[in-house]
Amino acid sequence: MLLTPNAMGPRLRIGLYLTTGLIALFLLLPIVFIVLLSFGSSQWLVFPPPGWTLKWYEQFFANPEWMASVLTSLKVAVLTTLCAVALGLPTAFALVRGRFPGRELLYALFTLPMIVPLVIIAVAVYALFLKLGYTGTLFSFVVSHVIVALPFTIISIINSLKLFDQSIEDAAVICGASRMQAVYKVTFPAIRPGMVAGALFAFLVSWDEVVLSVMMASPTLQTLPVKMWTTLRQDLTPVIAVASTLLIGLSVLIMVIAAALRRRNEVSA
Amino acid sequence: MTTAQSSQSTHVAGAAPRAAGMASSSTAQRWRGFSNLLPALLFLGLFFLAPLIGLLMRGVLEPSLGLGNYEQLFANSAYTRVLLNTFSVAGLVTVISLLLGFPLAWAITLVPRGWGRWLLNIVLLSMWTSLLARTYSWLVLLQASGVINKTLMAMGIIDQPLEMVHNLTGVVIGMSYIMIPFIVLPLQATMQAIDPMVLQAGAICGASPWRNFFRVFLPLCRPGLFSGGLMVFVMSLGYYVTPALLGGAQNMMLPEFIIQQVQSFLNWGIASAAAALLIGITLVLLYFYLKLQPESPVGASNAR
Repeated sequence: MLLTPNAMGPRLRIGLYLTTGLIALFLLLPIVFIVLLSFGSSQWLVFPPPGWTLKWYEQFFANPEWMASVLTSLKVAVLTTLCAVALGLPTAFALVRGRFPGRELLYALFTLPMIVPLVIIAVAVYALFLKLGYTGTLFSFVVSHVIVALPFTIISIINSLKLFDQSIEDAAVICGASRMQAVYKVTFPAIRPGMVAGALFAFLVSWDEVVLSVMMASPTLQTLPVKMWTTLRQDLTPVIAVASTLLIGLSVLIMVIAAALRRRNEVSA
Repeated sequence: MTTAQSSQSTHVAGAAPRAAGMASSSTAQRWRGFSNLLPALLFLGLFFLAPLIGLLMRGVLEPSLGLGNYEQLFANSAYTRVLLNTFSVAGLVTVISLLLGFPLAWAITLVPRGWGRWLLNIVLLSMWTSLLARTYSWLVLLQASGVINKTLMAMGIIDQPLEMVHNLTGVVIGMSYIMIPFIVLPLQATMQAIDPMVLQAGAICGASPWRNFFRVFLPLCRPGLFSGGLMVFVMSLGYYVTPALLGGAQNMMLPEFIIQQVQSFLNWGIASAAAALLIGITLVLLYFYLKLQPESPVGASNAR
Protein backbone atom coordinates (compact mmCIF):
# COMPACT_ATOMS: atom_id res chain seq x y z
CA MET A 1 0.00 0.00 0.00
CA LEU A 2 2.86 2.37 0.62
CA LEU A 3 4.22 1.22 -2.72
CA THR A 4 0.96 1.19 -4.66
CA PRO A 5 -0.06 4.79 -5.35
CA ASN A 6 -3.77 4.12 -5.69
CA ALA A 7 -4.06 2.41 -2.34
CA MET A 8 -1.97 5.03 -0.64
CA GLY A 9 -4.61 7.52 0.35
CA PRO A 10 -4.85 10.84 -1.47
CA ARG A 11 -3.29 12.98 1.25
CA LEU A 12 -0.10 10.96 1.54
CA ARG A 13 0.13 10.60 -2.24
CA ILE A 14 -0.26 14.29 -2.98
CA GLY A 15 2.15 15.15 -0.18
CA LEU A 16 4.77 12.81 -1.56
CA TYR A 17 4.35 14.00 -5.14
CA LEU A 18 4.59 17.62 -4.06
CA THR A 19 7.75 17.00 -2.04
CA THR A 20 9.25 15.07 -4.93
CA GLY A 21 8.42 17.85 -7.36
CA LEU A 22 10.17 20.37 -5.13
CA ILE A 23 13.26 18.18 -4.75
CA ALA A 24 13.39 17.58 -8.50
CA LEU A 25 13.22 21.34 -9.01
CA PHE A 26 16.00 21.77 -6.48
CA LEU A 27 18.12 19.32 -8.51
CA LEU A 28 17.40 21.16 -11.76
CA LEU A 29 17.65 24.68 -10.38
CA PRO A 30 21.41 25.32 -10.55
CA ILE A 31 21.71 23.62 -13.95
CA VAL A 32 18.90 25.56 -15.63
CA PHE A 33 19.96 28.73 -13.85
CA ILE A 34 23.51 28.62 -15.14
CA VAL A 35 22.40 27.95 -18.71
CA LEU A 36 20.01 30.93 -18.62
CA LEU A 37 22.64 33.12 -17.00
CA SER A 38 25.13 32.44 -19.79
CA PHE A 39 22.72 34.21 -22.17
CA GLY A 40 21.93 37.06 -19.75
CA SER A 41 23.30 40.49 -20.50
CA SER A 42 24.18 41.48 -16.94
CA GLN A 43 27.84 41.58 -16.00
CA TRP A 44 26.81 41.24 -12.35
CA LEU A 45 24.73 38.14 -12.96
CA VAL A 46 21.47 39.87 -12.13
CA PHE A 47 18.53 37.50 -12.44
CA PRO A 48 16.21 37.65 -14.26
CA PRO A 49 18.63 39.30 -16.69
CA PRO A 50 17.73 42.71 -18.12
CA GLY A 51 18.30 41.38 -21.65
CA TRP A 52 19.58 38.44 -23.64
CA THR A 53 22.91 38.36 -25.41
CA LEU A 54 25.58 36.12 -26.90
CA LYS A 55 28.44 38.43 -25.96
CA TRP A 56 29.78 36.13 -23.22
CA TYR A 57 29.98 33.35 -25.78
CA GLU A 58 31.88 35.70 -28.10
CA GLN A 59 34.22 36.61 -25.25
CA PHE A 60 34.74 32.97 -24.40
CA PHE A 61 35.56 31.89 -27.95
CA ALA A 62 37.66 34.98 -28.68
CA ASN A 63 39.82 34.58 -25.60
CA PRO A 64 43.02 32.65 -26.41
CA GLU A 65 43.44 31.56 -22.78
CA TRP A 66 40.04 29.89 -22.61
CA MET A 67 40.57 28.31 -26.01
CA ALA A 68 44.00 27.01 -25.01
CA SER A 69 42.50 25.47 -21.89
CA VAL A 70 39.79 23.73 -23.93
CA LEU A 71 42.46 22.35 -26.24
CA THR A 72 44.59 21.17 -23.32
CA SER A 73 41.55 19.52 -21.74
CA LEU A 74 40.79 17.70 -24.98
CA LYS A 75 44.38 16.54 -25.42
CA VAL A 76 44.62 15.33 -21.83
CA ALA A 77 41.24 13.59 -21.95
CA VAL A 78 41.98 11.79 -25.24
CA LEU A 79 45.42 10.65 -24.10
CA THR A 80 44.00 9.57 -20.74
CA THR A 81 41.28 7.57 -22.48
CA LEU A 82 43.78 5.81 -24.76
CA CYS A 83 46.16 4.98 -21.92
CA ALA A 84 43.38 3.85 -19.57
CA VAL A 85 41.94 1.47 -22.17
CA ALA A 86 45.39 0.20 -23.18
CA LEU A 87 46.27 -0.53 -19.55
CA GLY A 88 42.81 -1.63 -18.49
CA LEU A 89 42.12 -4.14 -21.25
CA PRO A 90 44.90 -6.65 -20.44
CA THR A 91 44.27 -6.12 -16.73
CA ALA A 92 40.60 -6.99 -17.08
CA PHE A 93 41.51 -10.13 -19.11
CA ALA A 94 43.97 -11.21 -16.43
CA LEU A 95 41.56 -10.59 -13.57
CA VAL A 96 38.65 -12.39 -15.21
CA ARG A 97 40.48 -15.32 -16.82
CA GLY A 98 43.58 -15.75 -14.67
CA ARG A 99 43.62 -18.44 -12.03
CA PHE A 100 46.58 -17.14 -10.05
CA PRO A 101 46.31 -16.60 -6.29
CA GLY A 102 45.58 -13.17 -4.83
CA ARG A 103 43.23 -12.05 -7.57
CA GLU A 104 40.77 -10.54 -5.09
CA LEU A 105 43.57 -8.60 -3.50
CA LEU A 106 44.81 -7.38 -6.87
CA TYR A 107 41.29 -6.35 -7.82
CA ALA A 108 41.10 -4.36 -4.59
CA LEU A 109 44.44 -2.78 -5.42
CA PHE A 110 43.25 -1.73 -8.86
CA THR A 111 40.11 -0.13 -7.42
CA LEU A 112 42.03 1.58 -4.62
CA PRO A 113 42.37 4.90 -6.52
CA MET A 114 38.56 5.11 -6.44
CA ILE A 115 38.58 4.85 -2.67
CA VAL A 116 41.53 6.96 -1.56
CA PRO A 117 40.36 10.59 -1.35
CA LEU A 118 41.35 12.50 -4.47
CA VAL A 119 43.11 15.19 -2.48
CA ILE A 120 45.54 12.65 -1.11
CA ILE A 121 46.30 11.18 -4.54
CA ALA A 122 46.77 14.73 -5.82
CA VAL A 123 49.21 15.68 -3.06
CA ALA A 124 51.15 12.41 -3.35
CA VAL A 125 51.54 12.63 -7.13
CA TYR A 126 52.32 16.33 -6.85
CA ALA A 127 55.17 15.52 -4.45
CA LEU A 128 56.59 12.98 -6.91
CA PHE A 129 56.40 15.29 -9.92
CA LEU A 130 57.78 18.18 -7.91
CA LYS A 131 60.86 16.09 -7.23
CA LEU A 132 61.16 15.00 -10.86
CA GLY A 133 60.46 18.53 -12.09
CA TYR A 134 57.46 17.37 -14.17
CA THR A 135 54.76 19.64 -12.75
CA GLY A 136 52.97 21.71 -15.34
CA THR A 137 53.58 19.21 -18.15
CA LEU A 138 51.10 17.31 -20.27
CA PHE A 139 52.70 14.13 -18.96
CA SER A 140 51.84 14.95 -15.34
CA PHE A 141 48.22 15.67 -16.27
CA VAL A 142 47.81 12.44 -18.20
CA VAL A 143 49.52 10.24 -15.60
CA SER A 144 47.49 11.64 -12.70
CA HIS A 145 44.24 11.33 -14.65
CA VAL A 146 44.97 7.76 -15.74
CA ILE A 147 45.39 6.78 -12.07
CA VAL A 148 41.80 7.75 -11.27
CA ALA A 149 40.30 6.76 -14.64
CA LEU A 150 41.80 3.25 -14.68
CA PRO A 151 39.45 1.67 -12.09
CA PHE A 152 36.38 2.79 -14.08
CA THR A 153 37.81 1.35 -17.29
CA ILE A 154 38.83 -1.93 -15.66
CA ILE A 155 35.43 -2.39 -13.99
CA SER A 156 33.49 -1.67 -17.20
CA ILE A 157 35.58 -4.10 -19.24
CA ILE A 158 35.44 -6.77 -16.52
CA ASN A 159 31.65 -6.50 -16.43
CA SER A 160 31.25 -7.17 -20.13
CA LEU A 161 34.01 -9.77 -20.23
CA LYS A 162 32.23 -11.74 -17.51
CA LEU A 163 29.10 -11.83 -19.65
CA PHE A 164 31.02 -13.13 -22.64
CA ASP A 165 30.99 -16.89 -23.02
CA GLN A 166 34.59 -17.90 -23.59
CA SER A 167 33.64 -21.08 -25.39
CA ILE A 168 32.77 -18.91 -28.40
CA GLU A 169 36.37 -17.78 -28.51
CA ASP A 170 37.51 -21.39 -28.10
CA ALA A 171 35.25 -22.39 -30.97
CA ALA A 172 37.03 -19.90 -33.21
CA VAL A 173 40.34 -21.45 -32.19
CA ILE A 174 39.07 -24.94 -32.92
CA CYS A 175 37.93 -23.70 -36.31
CA GLY A 176 41.51 -22.77 -37.05
CA ALA A 177 41.99 -19.23 -35.81
CA SER A 178 45.01 -18.46 -33.71
CA ARG A 179 44.24 -17.41 -30.16
CA MET A 180 45.20 -13.85 -31.02
CA GLN A 181 42.96 -13.79 -34.06
CA ALA A 182 40.11 -15.21 -32.00
CA VAL A 183 40.52 -12.60 -29.29
CA TYR A 184 40.80 -9.85 -31.84
CA LYS A 185 37.99 -10.93 -34.16
CA VAL A 186 35.56 -12.58 -31.74
CA THR A 187 36.09 -11.43 -28.17
CA PHE A 188 36.83 -7.75 -28.75
CA PRO A 189 33.71 -7.11 -30.83
CA ALA A 190 31.64 -8.95 -28.22
CA ILE A 191 32.94 -6.88 -25.32
CA ARG A 192 32.93 -3.62 -27.24
CA PRO A 193 30.08 -2.09 -25.17
CA GLY A 194 32.22 -2.51 -22.06
CA MET A 195 35.24 -1.05 -23.81
CA VAL A 196 33.25 1.93 -25.08
CA ALA A 197 31.70 2.50 -21.67
CA GLY A 198 35.13 2.28 -20.06
CA ALA A 199 36.53 4.75 -22.56
CA LEU A 200 33.60 7.15 -22.00
CA PHE A 201 34.10 6.97 -18.25
CA ALA A 202 37.82 7.63 -18.60
CA PHE A 203 37.15 10.58 -20.87
CA LEU A 204 34.56 12.05 -18.54
CA VAL A 205 36.69 11.55 -15.42
CA SER A 206 39.60 13.32 -17.08
CA TRP A 207 37.48 16.05 -18.65
CA ASP A 208 35.85 16.95 -15.32
CA GLU A 209 38.84 16.46 -13.04
CA VAL A 210 39.55 19.49 -10.84
CA VAL A 211 41.63 18.58 -7.82
CA LEU A 212 44.42 16.68 -9.57
CA SER A 213 44.55 19.21 -12.39
CA VAL A 214 44.77 22.18 -10.05
CA MET A 215 47.80 20.59 -8.42
CA MET A 216 49.46 19.68 -11.75
CA ALA A 217 48.72 22.95 -13.55
CA SER A 218 51.15 25.75 -14.26
CA PRO A 219 50.17 29.27 -15.30
CA THR A 220 50.93 28.32 -18.89
CA LEU A 221 49.34 24.88 -19.00
CA GLN A 222 45.78 24.66 -17.69
CA THR A 223 42.81 22.45 -18.43
CA LEU A 224 39.34 23.96 -18.72
CA PRO A 225 38.36 23.15 -15.11
CA VAL A 226 41.62 24.70 -13.86
CA LYS A 227 40.96 27.84 -15.88
CA MET A 228 37.42 27.94 -14.45
CA TRP A 229 38.77 27.39 -10.97
CA THR A 230 41.36 30.17 -11.11
CA THR A 231 38.90 32.58 -12.74
CA LEU A 232 36.24 31.69 -10.19
CA ARG A 233 38.54 32.61 -7.34
CA GLN A 234 38.98 36.12 -8.76
CA ASP A 235 35.48 37.02 -9.87
CA LEU A 236 32.21 35.44 -10.96
CA THR A 237 32.22 36.69 -14.57
CA PRO A 238 29.43 35.31 -16.84
CA VAL A 239 32.14 33.80 -19.06
CA ILE A 240 32.35 30.99 -16.49
CA ALA A 241 28.63 30.46 -17.05
CA VAL A 242 29.42 29.95 -20.74
CA ALA A 243 32.09 27.37 -19.92
CA SER A 244 29.67 25.68 -17.51
CA THR A 245 26.91 25.59 -20.12
CA LEU A 246 29.22 23.98 -22.65
CA LEU A 247 30.22 21.38 -20.03
CA ILE A 248 26.56 20.69 -19.25
CA GLY A 249 25.90 20.27 -22.97
CA LEU A 250 28.68 17.73 -23.17
CA SER A 251 27.32 15.78 -20.16
CA VAL A 252 23.89 15.63 -21.77
CA LEU A 253 25.43 14.45 -25.02
CA ILE A 254 27.38 11.68 -23.29
CA MET A 255 24.28 10.64 -21.33
CA VAL A 256 22.33 10.36 -24.56
CA ILE A 257 25.11 8.29 -26.17
CA ALA A 258 25.28 6.03 -23.12
CA ALA A 259 21.50 5.56 -23.16
CA ALA A 260 21.58 4.74 -26.87
CA LEU A 261 24.34 2.19 -26.29
CA ARG A 262 22.36 0.63 -23.46
CA ARG A 263 19.26 0.40 -25.59
CA ARG A 264 21.21 -1.25 -28.40
CA ASN A 265 22.66 -3.72 -25.92
CA GLU A 266 19.23 -4.59 -24.61
CA VAL A 267 18.00 -5.16 -28.14
CA SER A 268 20.94 -7.36 -29.08
CA ALA A 269 20.87 -9.26 -25.79
CA MET B 1 53.31 5.43 -28.29
CA THR B 2 49.76 4.70 -27.37
CA THR B 3 49.04 2.66 -30.46
CA ALA B 4 52.14 0.60 -29.84
CA GLN B 5 50.95 0.06 -26.32
CA SER B 6 47.49 -1.02 -27.30
CA SER B 7 48.70 -3.40 -29.99
CA GLN B 8 51.05 -4.87 -27.46
CA SER B 9 48.21 -5.28 -25.02
CA THR B 10 46.25 -7.12 -27.68
CA HIS B 11 49.16 -9.41 -28.06
CA VAL B 12 49.48 -10.17 -24.38
CA ALA B 13 45.76 -10.58 -24.04
CA GLY B 14 45.85 -13.10 -26.84
CA ALA B 15 48.90 -14.88 -25.48
CA ALA B 16 46.95 -16.31 -22.59
CA PRO B 17 45.81 -19.65 -23.93
CA ARG B 18 43.56 -21.44 -21.58
CA ALA B 19 43.81 -24.85 -23.16
CA ALA B 20 44.72 -26.99 -20.20
CA GLY B 21 46.98 -29.97 -19.86
CA MET B 22 49.95 -28.70 -21.79
CA ALA B 23 51.66 -26.87 -18.94
CA SER B 24 54.76 -28.63 -17.73
CA SER B 25 54.62 -27.36 -14.19
CA SER B 26 51.60 -26.48 -12.13
CA THR B 27 53.17 -23.21 -10.98
CA ALA B 28 53.42 -21.97 -14.51
CA GLN B 29 49.80 -22.91 -15.02
CA ARG B 30 48.66 -21.09 -11.94
CA TRP B 31 50.44 -17.91 -12.87
CA ARG B 32 49.38 -17.99 -16.50
CA GLY B 33 47.85 -14.71 -17.54
CA PHE B 34 49.54 -12.82 -14.76
CA SER B 35 51.84 -11.10 -17.23
CA ASN B 36 48.79 -9.27 -18.60
CA LEU B 37 48.58 -7.48 -15.29
CA LEU B 38 52.12 -6.22 -15.37
CA PRO B 39 51.72 -2.98 -17.34
CA ALA B 40 48.93 -1.66 -15.14
CA LEU B 41 50.59 -2.98 -12.00
CA LEU B 42 53.84 -1.28 -12.89
CA PHE B 43 52.01 1.94 -13.67
CA LEU B 44 50.07 1.99 -10.42
CA GLY B 45 53.09 0.94 -8.38
CA LEU B 46 55.25 3.66 -9.84
CA PHE B 47 52.79 6.55 -9.95
CA PHE B 48 50.25 5.72 -7.26
CA LEU B 49 51.49 3.35 -4.56
CA ALA B 50 55.06 4.61 -4.32
CA PRO B 51 54.07 8.29 -4.04
CA LEU B 52 51.30 7.40 -1.60
CA ILE B 53 53.67 5.49 0.67
CA GLY B 54 56.23 8.26 0.23
CA LEU B 55 53.67 10.82 1.33
CA LEU B 56 52.59 8.82 4.36
CA MET B 57 56.23 8.32 5.40
CA ARG B 58 56.81 12.05 5.54
CA GLY B 59 54.42 12.30 8.46
CA VAL B 60 56.78 10.37 10.69
CA LEU B 61 60.04 11.56 9.09
CA GLU B 62 59.58 15.32 8.76
CA PRO B 63 60.69 17.54 10.36
CA SER B 64 62.13 14.92 12.72
CA LEU B 65 61.62 11.21 13.24
CA GLY B 66 58.68 10.45 15.48
CA LEU B 67 54.97 10.96 15.97
CA GLY B 68 55.29 14.71 16.57
CA ASN B 69 52.99 15.58 13.67
CA TYR B 70 50.25 13.32 14.93
CA GLU B 71 50.54 14.78 18.42
CA GLN B 72 50.24 18.27 16.98
CA LEU B 73 47.21 17.28 14.93
CA PHE B 74 45.32 16.42 18.11
CA ALA B 75 46.90 18.96 20.46
CA ASN B 76 46.68 22.17 18.44
CA SER B 77 43.19 23.59 18.88
CA ALA B 78 43.14 25.07 15.36
CA TYR B 79 43.80 21.61 13.94
CA THR B 80 41.28 19.83 16.12
CA ARG B 81 38.70 22.34 14.98
CA VAL B 82 39.37 21.29 11.40
CA LEU B 83 38.84 17.64 12.37
CA LEU B 84 35.66 18.43 14.26
CA ASN B 85 34.39 20.57 11.42
CA THR B 86 35.11 17.85 8.85
CA PHE B 87 33.02 15.35 10.77
CA SER B 88 30.15 17.69 11.56
CA VAL B 89 29.85 18.87 7.94
CA ALA B 90 29.99 15.30 6.64
CA GLY B 91 27.38 14.23 9.20
CA LEU B 92 25.08 17.13 8.43
CA VAL B 93 25.38 16.59 4.70
CA THR B 94 24.61 12.89 5.11
CA VAL B 95 21.47 13.55 7.14
CA ILE B 96 20.15 16.23 4.79
CA SER B 97 20.82 14.28 1.62
CA LEU B 98 19.12 11.24 3.20
CA LEU B 99 16.07 13.34 4.08
CA LEU B 100 15.86 14.77 0.55
CA GLY B 101 16.85 11.59 -1.24
CA PHE B 102 14.28 9.39 0.51
CA PRO B 103 11.08 10.93 -0.89
CA LEU B 104 12.65 11.15 -4.33
CA ALA B 105 13.64 7.48 -4.35
CA TRP B 106 10.22 6.56 -3.02
CA ALA B 107 8.41 8.53 -5.71
CA ILE B 108 10.60 7.09 -8.47
CA THR B 109 9.66 3.60 -7.26
CA LEU B 110 5.93 4.12 -7.22
CA VAL B 111 5.03 6.53 -10.01
CA PRO B 112 4.23 5.10 -13.48
CA ARG B 113 7.33 4.03 -15.35
CA GLY B 114 7.51 6.96 -17.74
CA TRP B 115 7.50 9.50 -14.92
CA GLY B 116 9.97 7.46 -12.94
CA ARG B 117 12.32 7.41 -15.92
CA TRP B 118 12.16 11.22 -16.10
CA LEU B 119 12.83 11.66 -12.41
CA LEU B 120 15.75 9.26 -12.67
CA ASN B 121 17.08 11.20 -15.66
CA ILE B 122 17.00 14.40 -13.63
CA VAL B 123 19.00 12.69 -10.90
CA LEU B 124 21.51 11.36 -13.45
CA LEU B 125 21.80 14.72 -15.21
CA SER B 126 22.58 16.41 -11.93
CA MET B 127 25.13 13.72 -11.13
CA TRP B 128 26.89 13.92 -14.49
CA THR B 129 26.98 17.68 -14.71
CA SER B 130 30.41 19.15 -14.11
CA LEU B 131 31.07 19.61 -10.42
CA LEU B 132 32.55 23.04 -10.97
CA ALA B 133 29.56 24.19 -13.02
CA ARG B 134 27.17 23.21 -10.25
CA THR B 135 29.28 24.76 -7.53
CA TYR B 136 29.63 27.99 -9.51
CA SER B 137 25.89 28.08 -9.96
CA TRP B 138 25.31 27.78 -6.23
CA LEU B 139 27.87 30.46 -5.59
CA VAL B 140 25.89 32.86 -7.79
CA LEU B 141 22.50 31.73 -6.47
CA LEU B 142 23.42 32.06 -2.82
CA GLN B 143 25.45 35.27 -2.85
CA ALA B 144 24.20 38.36 -0.99
CA SER B 145 22.86 39.95 -4.20
CA GLY B 146 21.75 36.59 -5.60
CA VAL B 147 18.32 35.45 -6.71
CA ILE B 148 17.45 33.65 -3.51
CA ASN B 149 18.17 36.62 -1.28
CA LYS B 150 16.41 38.99 -3.72
CA THR B 151 13.33 36.79 -3.84
CA LEU B 152 13.14 36.38 -0.08
CA MET B 153 13.53 40.13 0.36
CA ALA B 154 10.90 40.92 -2.26
CA MET B 155 8.51 38.56 -0.49
CA GLY B 156 9.18 40.43 2.71
CA ILE B 157 10.43 37.38 4.56
CA ILE B 158 13.79 38.99 5.36
CA ASP B 159 14.97 42.62 5.43
CA GLN B 160 18.65 41.96 5.05
CA PRO B 161 20.34 39.48 2.75
CA LEU B 162 21.14 36.19 4.47
CA GLU B 163 24.76 35.20 4.46
CA MET B 164 24.69 31.88 2.68
CA VAL B 165 28.12 31.61 1.07
CA HIS B 166 31.59 31.42 2.54
CA ASN B 167 30.18 29.82 5.63
CA LEU B 168 28.74 26.55 6.89
CA THR B 169 25.34 27.10 5.24
CA GLY B 170 26.91 27.38 1.80
CA VAL B 171 29.00 24.25 2.21
CA VAL B 172 26.07 22.20 3.51
CA ILE B 173 23.67 23.34 0.76
CA GLY B 174 26.23 22.79 -2.02
CA MET B 175 27.41 19.43 -0.77
CA SER B 176 23.97 18.03 0.06
CA TYR B 177 22.94 18.97 -3.45
CA ILE B 178 25.85 17.05 -4.92
CA MET B 179 25.29 14.00 -2.70
CA ILE B 180 21.53 13.47 -3.31
CA PRO B 181 22.08 11.23 -6.39
CA PHE B 182 24.38 8.98 -4.38
CA ILE B 183 21.52 8.40 -1.92
CA VAL B 184 18.75 8.08 -4.50
CA LEU B 185 20.42 5.45 -6.70
CA PRO B 186 21.13 2.74 -4.07
CA LEU B 187 17.96 3.53 -2.11
CA GLN B 188 15.78 3.32 -5.19
CA ALA B 189 17.30 -0.07 -6.03
CA THR B 190 16.46 -1.28 -2.53
CA MET B 191 12.89 0.02 -2.70
CA GLN B 192 12.38 -1.49 -6.14
CA ALA B 193 13.14 -4.89 -4.65
CA ILE B 194 10.58 -4.62 -1.86
CA ASP B 195 7.46 -6.66 -2.54
CA PRO B 196 4.44 -4.29 -2.31
CA MET B 197 2.45 -7.25 -0.98
CA VAL B 198 4.42 -7.11 2.26
CA LEU B 199 3.14 -3.60 2.89
CA GLN B 200 -0.35 -4.65 1.87
CA ALA B 201 -0.14 -7.45 4.38
CA GLY B 202 0.81 -4.94 7.05
CA ALA B 203 -2.24 -2.86 6.20
CA ILE B 204 -4.56 -5.85 6.13
CA CYS B 205 -3.29 -6.89 9.54
CA GLY B 206 -4.49 -3.55 10.80
CA ALA B 207 -1.37 -1.42 10.83
CA SER B 208 -2.07 2.28 10.38
CA PRO B 209 -0.15 3.95 7.52
CA TRP B 210 2.17 5.51 10.11
CA ARG B 211 2.86 2.23 11.79
CA ASN B 212 3.25 0.49 8.45
CA PHE B 213 5.76 3.11 7.39
CA PHE B 214 7.93 2.99 10.50
CA ARG B 215 7.64 -0.70 11.34
CA VAL B 216 7.63 -2.25 7.86
CA PHE B 217 8.68 0.09 5.07
CA LEU B 218 11.56 1.87 6.76
CA PRO B 219 13.22 -1.30 8.10
CA LEU B 220 12.99 -2.82 4.61
CA CYS B 221 14.70 0.28 3.19
CA ARG B 222 17.49 0.11 5.75
CA PRO B 223 20.11 -1.55 3.51
CA GLY B 224 19.76 1.21 0.91
CA LEU B 225 19.68 3.96 3.50
CA PHE B 226 22.69 2.49 5.18
CA SER B 227 24.88 1.95 2.14
CA GLY B 228 23.92 5.27 0.59
CA GLY B 229 24.43 7.16 3.81
CA LEU B 230 27.79 5.61 4.58
CA MET B 231 29.01 6.22 1.05
CA VAL B 232 27.95 9.85 1.19
CA PHE B 233 29.60 10.30 4.58
CA VAL B 234 32.88 8.86 3.29
CA MET B 235 32.76 10.96 0.12
CA SER B 236 31.96 14.09 2.11
CA LEU B 237 35.00 13.59 4.33
CA GLY B 238 37.26 13.72 1.28
CA TYR B 239 35.60 16.53 -0.69
CA TYR B 240 37.71 19.49 -1.65
CA VAL B 241 36.19 21.59 -4.44
CA THR B 242 32.81 22.50 -2.98
CA PRO B 243 33.99 23.35 0.56
CA ALA B 244 36.88 25.35 -0.86
CA LEU B 245 34.59 27.50 -3.00
CA LEU B 246 31.43 27.73 -0.89
CA GLY B 247 32.99 27.60 2.57
CA GLY B 248 34.82 30.22 4.54
CA ALA B 249 38.14 30.24 6.33
CA GLN B 250 36.26 29.57 9.55
CA ASN B 251 35.06 26.13 8.57
CA MET B 252 37.92 24.50 6.76
CA MET B 253 37.72 20.75 6.24
CA LEU B 254 40.53 18.18 6.19
CA PRO B 255 41.11 18.05 2.40
CA GLU B 256 41.42 21.84 2.18
CA PHE B 257 43.68 21.79 5.22
CA ILE B 258 45.99 19.24 3.57
CA ILE B 259 46.32 21.27 0.38
CA GLN B 260 46.84 24.49 2.30
CA GLN B 261 49.61 22.95 4.41
CA VAL B 262 51.35 21.68 1.26
CA GLN B 263 50.91 24.69 -1.00
CA SER B 264 51.02 27.64 1.37
CA PHE B 265 53.08 26.47 4.34
CA LEU B 266 55.17 23.69 2.75
CA ASN B 267 54.48 21.78 5.94
CA TRP B 268 54.54 18.27 4.46
CA GLY B 269 54.80 16.60 7.87
CA ILE B 270 51.47 17.78 9.19
CA ALA B 271 49.81 17.39 5.78
CA SER B 272 50.98 13.80 5.68
CA ALA B 273 49.68 13.09 9.17
CA ALA B 274 46.30 14.57 8.21
CA ALA B 275 46.31 12.51 5.00
CA ALA B 276 47.05 9.33 6.93
CA LEU B 277 44.18 10.09 9.28
CA LEU B 278 41.80 10.71 6.38
CA ILE B 279 42.82 7.49 4.61
CA GLY B 280 42.54 5.54 7.86
CA ILE B 281 39.01 6.75 8.57
CA THR B 282 37.97 6.18 4.95
CA LEU B 283 39.27 2.61 4.90
CA VAL B 284 37.69 1.71 8.24
CA LEU B 285 34.29 3.06 7.15
CA LEU B 286 34.51 1.28 3.80
CA TYR B 287 35.38 -1.93 5.58
CA PHE B 288 32.12 -1.65 7.52
CA TYR B 289 30.33 -0.78 4.31
CA LEU B 290 31.53 -3.95 2.59
CA LYS B 291 31.05 -6.04 5.72
CA LEU B 292 27.42 -5.02 6.20
CA GLN B 293 26.46 -5.02 2.57
CA PRO B 294 25.60 -8.72 1.99
CA GLU B 295 23.48 -8.87 5.13
CA SER B 296 20.77 -6.77 3.56
CA PRO B 297 17.55 -8.82 3.88
CA VAL B 298 16.05 -7.41 0.70
CA GLY B 299 19.20 -7.83 -1.33
CA ALA B 300 19.47 -11.44 -0.23
CA SER B 301 15.88 -12.34 -1.01
CA ASN B 302 16.01 -10.45 -4.26
CA ALA B 303 19.11 -12.23 -5.47
CA ARG B 304 17.06 -15.32 -6.20
